[in-house]
This record gives sequence, structure tokens and C-alpha cells, in this order.
Amino acid sequence: MEKTHTVYSKKTKAVRALLFLLLLIVSLVTLYPVIYIALGSFKANNELLLGGTQIFPKTFILDNYKQAWEKANFAVYTVNSLIISLGVMVLSILITTMAGYVFARKKFKGKELLYSIFVAFMFVNVGSVSLRPLFELAVKVKMNTSLLSIILISTGMGQATYIFLVRGFMNTISKELDEAAKLDGCTFFQIYYKIILPLLKPVIATIGLLSFRTGWNEYIMPLVFTMSNDKLRPLTVGVVMLKNSGDGTAAWNLMFAGSTISIIPIIVIYMCTSRYFMSGLTAGAVKG
Amino acid sequence: MKEKLSFGERLQKSASRGDFSSALMLLPAVFLLAVISIYPFCWLFRYIFYDYNGFTAYYIGFKNFTRMFQDAVFWRSVLHTFEYAIMKLIIILPLSLLLAVLLNQKIKGSGIFRGIYFMPTVISSAVYSLIFGFIFAVYNGVLNAYLQKLGMIHSPIDWLGSASIVMISIVIVAVWGGFGNYMILFMSGLSSISEEIYESCKMDGANGVQSFFYITLPMLSPVLKVILMLAITTALKDYESILVLTNGGPNSRSEVMFTYIYKLIFGSQTTPQIGYATVLSVMAALIIGVITAVYMYFARKLDDVV
Repeated sequence: MEKTHTVYSKKTKAVRALLFLLLLIVSLVTLYPVIYIALGSFKANNELLLGGTQIFPKTFILDNYKQAWEKANFAVYTVNSLIISLGVMVLSILITTMAGYVFARKKFKGKELLYSIFVAFMFVNVGSVSLRPLFELAVKVKMNTSLLSIILISTGMGQATYIFLVRGFMNTISKELDEAAKLDGCTFFQIYYKIILPLLKPVIATIGLLSFRTGWNEYIMPLVFTMSNDKLRPLTVGVVMLKNSGDGTAAWNLMFAGSTISIIPIIVIYMCTSRYFMSGLTAGAVKG
Repeated sequence: MKEKLSFGERLQKSASRGDFSSALMLLPAVFLLAVISIYPFCWLFRYIFYDYNGFTAYYIGFKNFTRMFQDAVFWRSVLHTFEYAIMKLIIILPLSLLLAVLLNQKIKGSGIFRGIYFMPTVISSAVYSLIFGFIFAVYNGVLNAYLQKLGMIHSPIDWLGSASIVMISIVIVAVWGGFGNYMILFMSGLSSISEEIYESCKMDGANGVQSFFYITLPMLSPVLKVILMLAITTALKDYESILVLTNGGPNSRSEVMFTYIYKLIFGSQTTPQIGYATVLSVMAALIIGVITAVYMYFARKLDDVV
């Protein structure tokens, strides 16, 4: 260190150490709830209800997971969460890459108007009230008993950002590629499918991750849609429901296990792909 | 030049340009936009003059409006929304900016720190609010246990049940869940400031704090404005976490606009009052819109001055 850097005075060294300490403390505070819940999920329920500052369980038991999985329906919730998030991911990727491609490459009347409507509804947010008509609509077309309605709504609410991302990325792909493919006899769709889609890989990775996360973490919308249908609940709804189900104090061990089941997969995915998460976030935010 | 083409020829021509396929490719997105975004928005205005409980709707004229103006709980929830948003912003923005500036210095392990700070943003706010519910629990919660062990408090604090503390607790959770988000945004803004400016500043003998106030902050101001706007609108719209943490309690002390509206529509305690909720939603959207407009006005004003 000393060789490559200028020699710091004692004061700057102290300041640096202090700042490093600050970073460490913030990291600890950030990690604490996750570690607390993950380790707590191996504690016996009476140990949890007793409280105290002990973060490690006295003995590691797996019974909470077994109970949550078998008795509290968490097997079903996990499958539902997976279906929803994978559905939202696949649908988002398909729909938004196609739309972004058309917006970037096709000239047609009213294009910019249509595009600005997409962008405008990204900012219009009237809260939960919009879920009421969607729920009534789903009942009318008999889709309230299927996860598809949840997938479609989640996709629809998130698509504008992704279309924006794809359109922006498309502008960096040379139009000469399109022309060349066209001369070779490719149709408009074939150009998308054969030429553009492979080039969009980095954006697709970002969209896939962000939309998977959105689907996995969706709470209020599936809560509203599964009020009277326990079998369709995703993990988020299922685990919070335990708290409101009256015997909330008794089921701490189940809620700990359920929370862990619902956060660990997404954290693992994040740890493997954090770069895409962060780049997607910043790219999506510069729209302003 | 403009020769008349037969229908068949025109069809062929537009087919070769890919008109049909492009329309088809755009269709799913437009369909979702129409059904998921535009339709509910128009639906809102349909019930403004109605008393609607989910089954039957009665026309009641302007009664929803007069009720709104007399609804003390709603206006208190508007105040709570501001209280929450201001407290959240005051903490989250300086904190995330400070962390972004520190991590921008290429200290050892800054990549790991960044990864850790961003981690909460991938977790569902409903679930981390539930987790914080355990941490905040009065008798068996771990926070009170630590504070008592350290001797900082004598009796346990009711973090979510005491009217004077509940807002602070909610803001703590919101900051935990969101600061990584703003830190990343600040970092992307910082990365556009060139290294050379700092170098020359250092040569002139400026210390870290000085170069922050004389270079970083002014250079960052365009990005800062966007982030600030994002932060303001997000904070005003937050309600998922509050719904899980306190459900607006105790005694409506943590009720914000959108938790109140949510309970009017989907709450299980009373019959749904959807007509009234649509009026409140429009009002809430207006309040947020006005605040955004005022902010943008001042942000532009500031541009002229600086």
C-alpha cells in the first residue's frame, strides 16, 4: 500500500479509519435482519418467543421448515411464487423486446404519441384503487381463479421501463445490420428473431432479472386477487397472512421459516448477478 | 409519380415493409397498456359520484366530495404522508449520497460494500417489513433486548404501538429498504465526474470535504434533481410496508393516504366504500402531482440562479 500511495498524515489516516468503520457498521445493520431471520428459522418456537439477544439457535432444528412446508401450505406458495415470477419474466422479455424493436426501427403514424402514453402511465399511479376494476374484470372473464391474471397485471405494470430500456439499447445497434439482413431476404420479424434478439442479450438479462424480482416480490396485487383463494397465494402473501391469522404470536417459527424461504432464493440470484441488477436500475432511472 | 396502386399491390407493399408483423409485435404491449393501465384509470372516474360497495352503486351527486372535506382521518393521513416522506428523505438522501461518495473513492472492498447495501432492494418490502415486525416486537423483539442489555433503556419500547415512536420506526424500515437504491443512482452520477477535476482540486490544496462541496455537489446537481424527484414521488406513494408493519395503527397514527384508501376498498373490517375511495385516489394523485410540479418549478428556478 505505502509504496503506491502518498504517505498520509496521522490525521487523514484516522479519518479514513473512521469512515471505514462507518461503512462496516452500515453493512452490519443492512445484513442483520437477513441473518437474524435466517438463523432464527432454525430455532424452536419457544426459544423465539422468549426473545433475547442470542442470534444463534441453541440447537439447529429443521422442524420449522417441515411444518411450514407440510402444514402451512408453503409448498404450494413456493410453486405459485415460482410460476408468477417465471411467467412475468418470460412474458416481459417477449413483449418488451418486440415492442422496443418496433419502436426503434419502424416508422408509423402516431408512434411518438403512443410511446409517450407508455411513458406517461409509468408515472400515473393512483395506488391500490386500480386493482379494483382489474379484479372485477378478472372475475368477469373468469380469470380470478388463475395465476395468469396476476402475471399479466404484473407484466403490464412493469413493461414501460423495459420497453424504454430496449429502445435505448436498439439505438446502439447499427441499422446497417438490418439492411444487410433485409437484402438477404429476411422479413421484419426474421430480422428481430435472427439478428436483433441475440444482440439484445445484455438487456434481456437485465429485464429478466428485474421482472423476475418484481414477480417474486409482488404483494398487494396477489393479496387482493387471492383474498378468498388460499391455493393461489405466493410466498409473500402466505407468510404475511400467518401474522394476521389470529394465532400470529404462536406461529413465529413458521413465519421465520416462511420469510427465509421467500428471501433466500432472490438473494442468491442477486449475489450471482448483482452487476445486471444495478446496471438495470440506473439505466431505468435516467429516463427522467 | 403518385400512381394509383390496386388494393392487392398496396397489401403486398406494406407486407414487404413489415407493417403487419410490426403491428402484431406491438399488439401485446399495447393490449396490456390498454387493459392494465388505461382502463383502470378511466374506471376511476366512473364511480366518483356514486356510493359503490362492490355490488350495487347509488348515485349520490357530490356527497363523496363533501364527505372528503369533512373527513378528518383522511386529512390527517395526508399530513402523515408528508411527515413520513420528509423524515424518510432527510435521512435516506444524505446517507446514500455519503455512502456513494465514500465508495467512489475505490477503497478496499468497495465492491462488496456496494453489493451489501443494495441487497435490501431485491427483497419484497412486505417480507422485510414482517421481519422488522419481529425485530421491533415489544417483549421478545431483539432490538429491545439489545437496548436493555446495553442499559440504554429500562423498560421495553413499543416501537410500533406507541403514537410518538411509530413514525420513526416506519421510517427506519423504509430507509433500510431503500438507501441502496439511491446510493447506486448517486454512484452512477458520480462516475460521470472526471477524475482530473479532483486531481487539480487536490493540487490546489483542497481537502475531501471542500472538494465535495465545491466540485462534487455542483457537478452532481443535474442528477441530483432527477434523483430528488424520484425520491419525493416514491416516498409519497409508499404504503405496502406500512400496511404490513402497522396497518395504519395505532389509532390511525401511521395512516398514510394510500393505506387509508386501500382499506376503504379492500379492508375486511367495513363494507367496501369504493365510490368514496375513487374520489380520495384522485385527490391523492392531485396532491402528488402538485408537489411534483412545485418541485420542478423550484428546481428550474434554481437552475437560473446558479
